[in-house]
Amino acid sequence: MAIKTPPTPYRRSFGDLSERALAFWLLVPAALLLGAVALYPVARLIYTSLFQRRLTDQTGVEPVFIGFDNFVQAFSDDRFWTSLWNTLLIVAVTVPGALLVGLGLALLANLPFRVRWPVRLGLLLPWALPLVFAGLIFRWFFDSQYGVVNDVIMRLGGERLLWITTPDLLFWAVCFSIIWKSSSFVALILLAGLQVIPKELYESAAVDGATGWQSFWRITLPLLMPAILVAAIFRTITAFQTFDIPFAMQNGGNAFETLAMYVRTMSIENLNFGYGSALAVLMFLISFVVTLVYLRYVRGADD
Amino acid sequence: MTSLNPFKNPRIWLWVAAGIVVVNGFFPAVWILLTSFKTEGELNRIPITWWPAAPTVQNYVQAFTNAPIGRYFFNSVVVAVGATLLCVFVSALAAYALARLRLPNKTLIFSLLVGVSMFPTVTLIVPLFETVLALGLRNTYIALILPHAALSIPVATLVLVSFFQGIPKDLESAAMVDGCSRLGALWRIVVPLAAPGVFTASILAFVNSWDEFLLALTLMPSQAMRTLPVGINFLQGEYSFPWPLISAALIIALVPVALVIAIFQERVVGGLTSGGVKG
Repeated sequence: MAIKTPPTPYRRSFGDLSERALAFWLLVPAALLLGAVALYPVARLIYTSLFQRRLTDQTGVEPVFIGFDNFVQAFSDDRFWTSLWNTLLIVAVTVPGALLVGLGLALLANLPFRVRWPVRLGLLLPWALPLVFAGLIFRWFFDSQYGVVNDVIMRLGGERLLWITTPDLLFWAVCFSIIWKSSSFVALILLAGLQVIPKELYESAAVDGATGWQSFWRITLPLLMPAILVAAIFRTITAFQTFDIPFAMQNGGNAFETLAMYVRTMSIENLNFGYGSALAVLMFLISFVVTLVYLRYVRGADD
Repeated sequence: MTSLNPFKNPRIWLWVAAGIVVVNGFFPAVWILLTSFKTEGELNRIPITWWPAAPTVQNYVQAFTNAPIGRYFFNSVVVAVGATLLCVFVSALAAYALARLRLPNKTLIFSLLVGVSMFPTVTLIVPLFETVLALGLRNTYIALILPHAALSIPVATLVLVSFFQGIPKDLESAAMVDGCSRLGALWRIVVPLAAPGVFTASILAFVNSWDEFLLALTLMPSQAMRTLPVGINFLQGEYSFPWPLISAALIIALVPVALVIAIFQERVVGGLTSGGVKG
């Protein structure tokens, strides 16, 4: 669309500012803030990743340019691959998990209740709870001695499980917590999608003799697919950044380490900015690809 | 006539459905609330108790006297309020331009906004940490307010754009014909009408800042400058877990957010789905 600004009768009042100039100046503050806090740091990150720079030695003052050596080091760093693998496992388990649980919650919440607020609040509460608090609460729920999970298992006649100290069990406890925390956001997105499906579709399906199960597969699921995809991509991107919940559940420990945890430990705890930045660049690139896929999908849906 | 079999009655199933959603959402918070009234002795009892045997408010007193929860709370309020005000002001200007003015490359700007909102926070902490160190701003409020404000700009802007678009353009034109400047019309016509949108954006920005952990941990780590998420996380000791104290602290930290979302739930839900940015 070619844009030719026609002369407007009200341009006079705000100095001689044209509409486009006004738009520009209105965007400047947001652009400056985002530039300073998001774009500049990414540029700086890429720059630092090419240097040897540790705050603990001389390179903290005089960084040494080493090209792509940090990346070469990362590719042969077992801890990098382990943390990447852990992160991918988290994505593989919690994204489908949160989508399934979220879909279930959304279908339940979409029933014709006379009073809606308790159900809506039931979906909003987990969303509003800080991730690190969810981690703390579930750390305790899964406590081997005093946790409510083991209490229930033992009341049902099961064995006491060492959730936090057994690596495999810790992974599932972390996944459970993430799914609980994120499924309600998924449910809110899907609920909005459910509410715009025309009721007439179900009515005419019922007239044609369709069962509830058939209506779900033939009407609900296909029409909900765009919302499910959006939720899936949001979840993938956030799951890839998983930090707070495993951090809080291990009280800062790293027996189970995600990529985000490794990046933070390497740069902020060990003060190895160069190598930490290289790890962060790798993480950024993976995340960036997923975002591009998302933007392409959203734009495709707009056309 | 309703059937005598209760499971044939659809109302029963509605109650079951509501029960599942409500229990799923409320259980952890309710459990924490119950625990916050238990004594440390009761907590170490096996099998564990569900209902407090001898309810006490001692943990709340402790939270303020033995742990600096009051200070953490103050820090969280300063950061969240500062970040919200800055974010919503800056976003309102941008959203007005995007919703109302002729502008080339709008699609690109929207894509950039969504793209930036997906940046992994952990990739920002290294350069932000360096910058904050270099400027000597570590452990100052401004070091956290600016990033928190920036991180909510995408969602706030998208929410505000959808609200601005809902305001009839004619109202604005009429005001301008009557001699208002464009900014005058923005201030007198658009802002009051967009108040619900501004409010929704504010709630989302506030909750984002109130909940944020990683940046707060990196940029304001000293004991006196911790926000609630960081401060409460560090109430966990190396070997001991003072759960009654932590529970009381969690309840104190959750009350403001729980109140806001309980009172304004429809706004929040609307904002989350129209903003369509990660949560």
